[in-house]
Amino acid sequence: MKARTLALAAALLGSSALSAGAQELHFIMCGGEVREADQAVVDAFIAENDGVTVNLEAVPWGTCQDKSLTLAAAGDPPSVAYMGSRTLRQLANNDLIVPAEISAESESAYQPGILNTVTIEGTKWGYPRAFSTKALYINCDLAEEAGVSCEAPATWDDMYAMASAINDNTEAAGVGLAGKDFDNTMHQFLNYLYSNGGVVIDTATGENKLDSDQTREALEFYGKLVSVAQDGPTAWERDQLKDLFNDGKIGMYIQGPWGRGQHNEDINQLVVPVPAGPSGDSGTILITDSIAVFKGSGHEELAHELAQMLTTGESQYALDTEWGLTPIFQYEKLGFENPYYVDDPFWEVFTGGIAAGGPEPLVEDFKSLQSVFTNMVQGIILEDDSVENLVTIAGEELDDAL
Amino acid sequence: MAELTADITATPKKRPRLKVNESVFAWLLIAPAMIFIGVIVAWPLVETVRLSFTNANLGGEEWVGLENYRELADSRRFHQTIGRTFTWMFFSVCLKLVLGLIGATLLNAKVPGKALFRVLVMPPWVIPIAIGMIGWLWLYNGHFGILSGTAMRLGIIDGPFEFLAYKNSAYWSTVVADVWVGVPMVTLFFLAAMQGVPTDLYEAAYVDGASRWYRFRRITIPQIFPVIVSMMLLSAIFTFNSFEIIWILTEGGPRSATTTLIIDTYKTAIGNFKFGEGAARAVVIVILLSLFSLTYLFILNRLNKRFGSK
Repeated sequence: MKARTLALAAALLGSSALSAGAQELHFIMCGGEVREADQAVVDAFIAENDGVTVNLEAVPWGTCQDKSLTLAAAGDPPSVAYMGSRTLRQLANNDLIVPAEISAESESAYQPGILNTVTIEGTKWGYPRAFSTKALYINCDLAEEAGVSCEAPATWDDMYAMASAINDNTEAAGVGLAGKDFDNTMHQFLNYLYSNGGVVIDTATGENKLDSDQTREALEFYGKLVSVAQDGPTAWERDQLKDLFNDGKIGMYIQGPWGRGQHNEDINQLVVPVPAGPSGDSGTILITDSIAVFKGSGHEELAHELAQMLTTGESQYALDTEWGLTPIFQYEKLGFENPYYVDDPFWEVFTGGIAAGGPEPLVEDFKSLQSVFTNMVQGIILEDDSVENLVTIAGEELDDAL
Repeated sequence: MAELTADITATPKKRPRLKVNESVFAWLLIAPAMIFIGVIVAWPLVETVRLSFTNANLGGEEWVGLENYRELADSRRFHQTIGRTFTWMFFSVCLKLVLGLIGATLLNAKVPGKALFRVLVMPPWVIPIAIGMIGWLWLYNGHFGILSGTAMRLGIIDGPFEFLAYKNSAYWSTVVADVWVGVPMVTLFFLAAMQGVPTDLYEAAYVDGASRWYRFRRITIPQIFPVIVSMMLLSAIFTFNSFEIIWILTEGGPRSATTTLIIDTYKTAIGNFKFGEGAARAVVIVILLSLFSLTYLFILNRLNKRFGSK
């Protein structure tokens, strides 16, 4: 009897010791899916760390960032979260995340401007994980049906002429526009703004530069495109436009490089840089999503290790090729031979804009920033107000948000 | 055996009666319910009121007194939101009552298969709202939806029409979806009330030569009037609080055309992490709903006095 009791006590002690060593990392993955490249790294991480498990929770973009921030604010933060870099300033200013520990080798290999998207007053707050630039996808079958040659429009006037021809001479709308209450309405507009020499916030001084002639010209052009766009752009967000493109219902739209893999193979498509506005050169928005390590999870060190494993050259290469992303690293510098984008005309369109691209503005209240842009863009789409007033109001609202 | 018999026949000892004060006993009985209500209703309410006097956000909170309420009082946008909430509620409730009354009258008629019709009226109420609204999202889609497609085939419109893309059409589309969800409940309550109307009243009126419309106007409506008032007020409260319908269809857009108080509160508190400002909006909602509830109780009390306990 005594021996049995002792054995039971030993078993209980042993199991409690095991559970004390066991740790579970809560990893929130924005986007609603776990990609194979991510899962492979997580599996390797678990294999390397005895007693450590990872609760990988995929949450759709619409609610993901709110969820991570709310959990952190409520004192139950996730260990790590993959989310838009635009959230980093809010998280950092509110002491909810810890700085990233990026190796010097990685730092030197990132594409130009990438680290700026996670750097606030000299501190890097996230591990850049996914990077994108944008380009214009044109359905050449529709262009030819409309009687125009399928060539890259160099200017906004050229783009409008092509969209107008498709709109007037085919069953399809000339262009797909996004205008829904969603973050990528702002992103879509910024592609035009950056292609017209516009600036939102001066990165050196932090000054609000939205209220400018370049913004007025960009907004006026967006409004002009409405007449040759699909019905009701305010009901559409960018990623829904691919369905219209696949159905041959729009002649062109702006999308990231992953668009190629999402479009029907039988569409004869041309991918070209965003045309230049009257006051600038072709440009694109540079967007990154990052991995943030949250404060107060109780295992920040392990979380850093996981984030570092996810952002090695090999892991990034696997993700970039699987997803079809603009390369986040200059992989040649990391010893990769013939990386996927070299000497590929498709990738030249997306990598060519990196040096001259504009950043997604980093402000603390990113939701208010988003509202400033959606109000302005929806205002011109619905013809609620003049370009002059809408830009002036947007400038004032951005002042309040900063 | 003798011992056992003695035990059975022995007079049971009287247990001393525990003397508890009657009011203490009453408090003991209601204590579990009070604790329950305190934890899930009173505490969150008190906490919301407290938060409304702070600038609580992701970084912490500071006492700001009446600042949040002052901002609401000065905000033209908030006043517009209140106005929009009431008009949205008004149209939705009126449509629910009218359609519910028509539906109940039809379901109360002596027609073959009426039991089947009564079942068929239920789905909008039974289906989870989120699923129902995803269905409506497809219906309202201009390029892939049946409404726009049918209208194009009939020649009513010459191209796709996005119902949720324009301010007026989005507003009315959300009203229609809310009515779709709310009508079954109203219909069934009216139907139950109609079935309680004594048939001899109709027979007497029929003998006196009263028409169908006259009997409906002078017998049915007065007899079910207390239920109509109850449904009007309850439906108004439900509609005022309606969140999922608008959120799933439009998220309050475009350009705030469908932003009601509930949506505005959610966007402020959860979307923008301005918990203090969101709490102030929530307190305004509580006050407005309390006024509704008081009105409801007052009117119900008056009707009970007039129509008895019906």
